[in-house]
Amino acid sequence: MIHTALKRFGCAVATAAVLATGTVTGASADVLDKVMERGTLVVGVKADYKPYGFLNPDGDIVGIEPDLAQDVADTLGVELELVPVVASNRMQFLDQGKIDLMIATMTDRPDRRKVVNILNPDYYSSGTNIIARKSAEFDEWEDLEGVPVCGIQGAFYNRKTQREFGAKIVGFTGTSEALNALQQGRCAAFVYDDSFLASRLQEAEWSEYNMPLQTIDDAPWGLAVKHGEERFARFMSGMVVKWHVDGRIVELEKEYGIKPTPFTQRMHELFSGFVPKEEG
Amino acid sequence: MRAAGERLYGTTDLPVLLPPGERLLRRASRERTDGVPRLTLKAWHGAVIAAVVLLAAAAAQAQGAAEARPGVLTALWKWVPLLVEGFLFNIAISFLGMGIGTALGTVLGVMQISLLPPVRAGSWIVTQFFRNAPWLVLLFFCMFLLPFEFRVMGFVVPFPDWVKATLGLSLPVMANVSEIVRGAVQSIPSGQWEAAESLAFSRRQTLVQIILPQCIKRMLPPWMNLYAILTMATVLASVVGVSEVMTLTQRVLSAESRPELLVPFYGFVLLLFFMYCYPIARFTHKLELRYVVKL
Repeated sequence: MIHTALKRFGCAVATAAVLATGTVTGASADVLDKVMERGTLVVGVKADYKPYGFLNPDGDIVGIEPDLAQDVADTLGVELELVPVVASNRMQFLDQGKIDLMIATMTDRPDRRKVVNILNPDYYSSGTNIIARKSAEFDEWEDLEGVPVCGIQGAFYNRKTQREFGAKIVGFTGTSEALNALQQGRCAAFVYDDSFLASRLQEAEWSEYNMPLQTIDDAPWGLAVKHGEERFARFMSGMVVKWHVDGRIVELEKEYGIKPTPFTQRMHELFSGFVPKEEG
Repeated sequence: MRAAGERLYGTTDLPVLLPPGERLLRRASRERTDGVPRLTLKAWHGAVIAAVVLLAAAAAQAQGAAEARPGVLTALWKWVPLLVEGFLFNIAISFLGMGIGTALGTVLGVMQISLLPPVRAGSWIVTQFFRNAPWLVLLFFCMFLLPFEFRVMGFVVPFPDWVKATLGLSLPVMANVSEIVRGAVQSIPSGQWEAAESLAFSRRQTLVQIILPQCIKRMLPPWMNLYAILTMATVLASVVGVSEVMTLTQRVLSAESRPELLVPFYGFVLLLFFMYCYPIARFTHKLELRYVVKL
């Protein structure tokens, strides 16, 4: 049943994407018209979240999400402008019209859907886990009771870790500060997105550490556009479907040296099975 | 017997410039009174800070030496152009903020000594309000109250974050400059006003031609102090997401994701600010010594 729904959804999106890029429907200038008019697409991305969006020594923002943004700009045939955003200002920027599109590791949650238009389908997914010294021997989340745990300020799972599992959260503004504190032993574990932690664990420096617990709260990440920009939303949904069909995101994960997440692999399998391969 | 400095000061009420010999003598006599040499920073003290940063870097390097990764200094070197560029942005913000703040503050300061009670009261309230508000709060207000673009006659004028941050920082500067101007004008002895009046100068002429030129000398040191403070406060803009040196450092650190780089990188930022602000502090100190006057 879910497959049928998906298939129908896929067709609808594909049609919508074609329609969206076709003639202007005569409505007042929407964001897509504005983008075409000024010749640049402004996308909000993270600049402090390796490998999804980070700085290179030239000062440019690179990573998986900037690459996805570049795909969108190429499809529209416009230039790309990246605006670095953080969790606390990304939805506001979108609402103000400062950015046209947001690809900023944002977890798709119902309360956020009220503020911005989070597109279907989601493009990525991550859950919550901890990184700790192997010698600490945590087996389940309840073991964190009374233990100091580093966290990033503003992450929604801090509260859960604190209230349900009784951990003492030590808040930091950036991941490098939190990781530093973990190494110095100011906290016994660091609670964060499992995709980020997994990519750290591949580095030699973290060979003494592991991700001992079961990932919880696995939640998808969504692209977002402003509410009311239906035409652009349909076009972007089409882009996400295309990425899943092509396996673009899995490809990017490999390119940036992280293990493809089960979510992106599953989406690729599901979607590529329902859209006929181009012939020739 | 009178001390050398006293001899000179005892004879005149006018602002005078001390010759270097007199300055040295004054200093020597003070040191004799205190019994210890007076502590003054020299340019080479900056080298000490540089050494601390290098040591921290070396220590971090030793920590990570077991692994086959590029050394801390190599990592730092790679990012230096970007960080310096960010720092130049800080300086640009400080210049602009100081310019705007000084222009507005001078007007506000002169209004504070106006003869019209409403003008005086109004400017006093504005000055006190902005002088006693935390800089970061003013910054937030400017960030979130101002729009990101204006529409003027069909043209879209962008109003980027850093301009908003500059305006936010120039508000407290304005209030402080206002107080500096008011204080300087009031510190000019009333004899100057009276003499000008007896020579039939109007109030405006007195202010522009006699009082303010005398004020500039004594306003310069506090004004430069304020500038150094403003420069160091520009990192506050990182809180509201302006891509200045602090924001860039945080981003660079997460791009490197090597916790041992934390101390050397922030140390480097410290060094940048020190190298810029310290000469200003020295110069201010020199100016203060030159304009030590008894009126």
